[in-house]
Amino acid sequence: MNAEASELALELALIPLIPLIGFIINGLGFGKLNKTVAGWLGTLAALGSFANTLHVVLEHWGQSLTVDYFSWISVGSLDIHFSFLLDPLSSIMLLVITGVGSLIHIYSMSYMHHDEGFGKFFAFLNLFLFSMLLLVMGSNYVVMFIGWEGVGLCSFLLIGFWNKVPAYNAAARKAFVMNRIGDLGFLLGIFILIALFGSVEFGVIFPQAAAVLTPNSGVAIALTMLLFVGAMGKSAQLPLYTWLPDAMAGPTPVSALIHAATMVTAGIYMVVRSNVLYVLAPTTLEFVAWIGLATALIGAAIGLFQNDIKKVLAYSTVSQLGLMFLALGVGAFSSGMFHVVTHAFFKALLFLGAGSVIHAMSDEQDIRKMGGLKGKLPVTFAVFLIATIAISGIPPFAGFFSKDEILSHVYEHSKLMWGLGLLVSFMTSFYMFRLVFLTFFGGFRGTDHQKHHLHESPWLMLGPLVVLAGLSIAGGLLGLPPVLSHNNWMADTLAPIFEQAKAVNASLFGHGSMTHETEWMLMAVSTVVALVAFAVAAFTFGGGKNVPAADGSPINPVQKLVYNKFYIDELYGAVIVTPIKAFGEYLYAVIEYLIIDLVVNIVGWSATMGGKALRRLQTGIVSFYVLLMVLSVVALALIGFTIKS
Amino acid sequence: MLAISALSVFGIIVLFLGFSNNKSALMLAAMLSLLATFGLALYEWQHPEITPAVAAGMMSFDNLSILFTAVLLVTGILLLPLSERFLVDPKAQPAEYYAILLFSMVGAIMMVTFDNLIMLFLGLEILSISLYVLTGSDKRNLLANEAALKYFLMGAFATGVLLYGVAMLYGAAGSFSLSDIALYVQDNHDNLSPMLYIGLFMMLVGMLFKLSVAPFHWWTADVYTGAPNFFTAYMSTIVKTAGFAALYKILSVSFVGVYDYWFLMLAICAVLTLCIGNLTATAQQSFKRMMAYSGVSHAGYMLIAVASFSDKTPEAIFFYSLAYSIATITAFAALMRVADTKGSADFAAFYGLAKTNPFLSFALTVSMLSLAGIPLTAGFMGKLFVFMSALEQGHVALVVAAVLMSAVGVYYYLRVVIAMYMREGNGVAVTLSPRFRVVLIATTVLTILLGVVPSLVAGAL
Repeated sequence: MNAEASELALELALIPLIPLIGFIINGLGFGKLNKTVAGWLGTLAALGSFANTLHVVLEHWGQSLTVDYFSWISVGSLDIHFSFLLDPLSSIMLLVITGVGSLIHIYSMSYMHHDEGFGKFFAFLNLFLFSMLLLVMGSNYVVMFIGWEGVGLCSFLLIGFWNKVPAYNAAARKAFVMNRIGDLGFLLGIFILIALFGSVEFGVIFPQAAAVLTPNSGVAIALTMLLFVGAMGKSAQLPLYTWLPDAMAGPTPVSALIHAATMVTAGIYMVVRSNVLYVLAPTTLEFVAWIGLATALIGAAIGLFQNDIKKVLAYSTVSQLGLMFLALGVGAFSSGMFHVVTHAFFKALLFLGAGSVIHAMSDEQDIRKMGGLKGKLPVTFAVFLIATIAISGIPPFAGFFSKDEILSHVYEHSKLMWGLGLLVSFMTSFYMFRLVFLTFFGGFRGTDHQKHHLHESPWLMLGPLVVLAGLSIAGGLLGLPPVLSHNNWMADTLAPIFEQAKAVNASLFGHGSMTHETEWMLMAVSTVVALVAFAVAAFTFGGGKNVPAADGSPINPVQKLVYNKFYIDELYGAVIVTPIKAFGEYLYAVIEYLIIDLVVNIVGWSATMGGKALRRLQTGIVSFYVLLMVLSVVALALIGFTIKS
Repeated sequence: MLAISALSVFGIIVLFLGFSNNKSALMLAAMLSLLATFGLALYEWQHPEITPAVAAGMMSFDNLSILFTAVLLVTGILLLPLSERFLVDPKAQPAEYYAILLFSMVGAIMMVTFDNLIMLFLGLEILSISLYVLTGSDKRNLLANEAALKYFLMGAFATGVLLYGVAMLYGAAGSFSLSDIALYVQDNHDNLSPMLYIGLFMMLVGMLFKLSVAPFHWWTADVYTGAPNFFTAYMSTIVKTAGFAALYKILSVSFVGVYDYWFLMLAICAVLTLCIGNLTATAQQSFKRMMAYSGVSHAGYMLIAVASFSDKTPEAIFFYSLAYSIATITAFAALMRVADTKGSADFAAFYGLAKTNPFLSFALTVSMLSLAGIPLTAGFMGKLFVFMSALEQGHVALVVAAVLMSAVGVYYYLRVVIAMYMREGNGVAVTLSPRFRVVLIATTVLTILLGVVPSLVAGAL
């Protein structure tokens, strides 16, 4: 390896290693290090990784480089290497993860300051960064899978961070189980890849994909479907989305980092990475589009009437992730990635802003007990409003551009989907402004104690908010639509990733036949929809009117259905959990107890008896031993003689 | 050759150092002897021409021999600090023990470097006679005396059988030299003298006895239990490494042509050994006696490697003996401390050890996991190499038997772990001296390191 290559290898390795070192120090030193040291250690690990990423990415911008570290698993003809891939796609993900991750670390130093598990929190956060970086840097599906499992573990640990509350532990378990279902699909997908290609390396699979897989053949569909099942679990898509709202049990910075900005987009990253496989399976793509759309609709609808500030944001995340999958499903891979990036900015901002509100409200999360906070929390209010405008798709903020790009691709694909997409857009804008009006406008509805305690958060928390607000405003510049600019930075940057897919189906990646007039029309329509939704929300909730009634008071049936999340959790409980549990109890009582235990006990018993019998031969008398030896020699000689002749 | 000559001289020097009253200098001298020998052995790495020039075809130091020599010496170096009790015991004779130990090491090294059956016999006897003496070294201990006498009586019997076999082989081939015998087998392949078969059979019986392979293992449990703990540790590691290296050498050099004949014998003995060793171990109440049967069962795994006779076999035997030796050293170190503190080597003596000495419990747990063959330990990789070597030759049945029996092994190895972590003890603390601590850290780190990165040593061949 020459000097330049080994320098790159070292620098790339340092990106995930720095957070890992942070994790090890904080993990081992938990309880011994004081909070300032632990907090700065964790934060500096994130910042260091960000600085290093920035350096590496800028130095090798636009290149596609694979660094092979060592042969890791070698079985038969399968040789899996531990290797990293640095290309535009992983570069963008790396920057988002370490950048947003660093901001959230800084924020957490203040937010978690009173928590007794402070050091543990930073250790987990660093471990998460490490796993997530592994996920996007791996140059094959197996390294990706390690990261995939790692982030799942960290998510579990952090959702159940306050493990003294049983409900939080249940939420953590739920997230873990749902993710495991998805992981199984992913794993089976990897096995199919190994069977088909004899490798898990991206650089081996993708160039051959078109030759090995017949377009839309059963194998291609099975493979992509299984990988998508993995994405469904990780990225909270129907039917595996119910864990994400429950995951709000974790501390708010966790919700911002893991359950909004980074981990939940892993599924999208994986599908984008495997784009050539998906392009070879149009049926799967159509399925992905519909699942994404349905998830977007359901998430947005449930979000309409939630009263917990984090729950609203959680359903909003589910819905926005659905939108991203809709983009992937219609073949707009780079638009999907674009939305991943802008969403990371404004959703992290929304969660951190919500954290600031919750902090001020002495851990109150119910928006019915808030109101009129804009005077007391002016900075939080301002940034929260910016994020709301961004997510609602009102120009010229970031969300408008990414969402518009998705919708224009959807429009080309199917008018019906586009219409439903607009509906999502309407609902999004509505529930977000409802949240803003109920939280920041009108009169204060909390207790006197809370009112007395109201305060703007310290600058350690506001700083990251302001940076994210800036990104939420300007993030749209990353992908300007064709009518405004000839260069869509995001699409141009990612273009090399899609070359193989382009060779299979060029039409998916063209600029389309859309005229400028149609484009202007589409932009105008989505803007109007967002503004109308804002107006409806302002009319209904402006000035703190129509505060939702307390739980238990009579509401109309539709509202009740929505408020109770369409009873989907209960449905899963009745249809899946209860029968499985009953089956499990049957297995335990009959199969396990009567059959398996019996067999195992008989085996164990015979081993013990055998041992006891053999032990009896051990008499301690030498002449007896010699006799046994002579007999053995004779017996062996006879056996040998018989076989010989 | 350099190593053997030097070590013999060192042994005499250590013996004479016994005249001085400074006992701790003795351990230091023995340690330096082993280290120097280790250096001399490595000096011949990639230089196989040094030894034959002076040894007249009686022995050769090829790379494989040097690797086995290294395993023997590393085992000795790691074990030596554990003998510190001899330094303070007024009735112990450390100069004699160390000198005999060094001499026995000369025998062991001869067993991995011989090119001639005479040298094999010499090495085996030097090692065995030293061990008879060391077993009975605690003169006031009746059990140890009994064990030494038993060992000697049965060992003499086995030596007789072995020598008889060697004589027969001479009768058939007209030479003691391994290469001459190989030539004879090759040239007369269709018309081999029956004496060759009888000779090979007898010689194998003698070897298998020394390796405590069933059905010739009867002496093992009694001798291992009766001998002082330190020497039990010594013989259960050194003899296995040297013996299996010797067995592989004879068979691979001289008797490739009659593979079918000896394969069957070794396969039968391997399965018997695995079953008897593992099953009997489950019925033991004493940790020390359990370790004796565990030693028997590990002979079974190594025998599978020899019997499978693939190109992976030398690597498998080498790695397995290293992994087994290191884990066994940990186990006996723990046993020595517990037995010295509590006066008993039963499982009950280990109750609650995790509370009073978490480090020792952790080290012993790692060693037990390694012996049981749990992944991420050297023992797992050792078993993997052995099984892969057997599967390469298509001996599926052998591997199935071995895997089933290693499942039985998990039961009795975990018993001591359960005793340490899940039972209440009587609160008597087991302490560790710095020497023990260093050895335990080294063995534990090595066990895990070799389990994670086996290529550190596995690729040395």
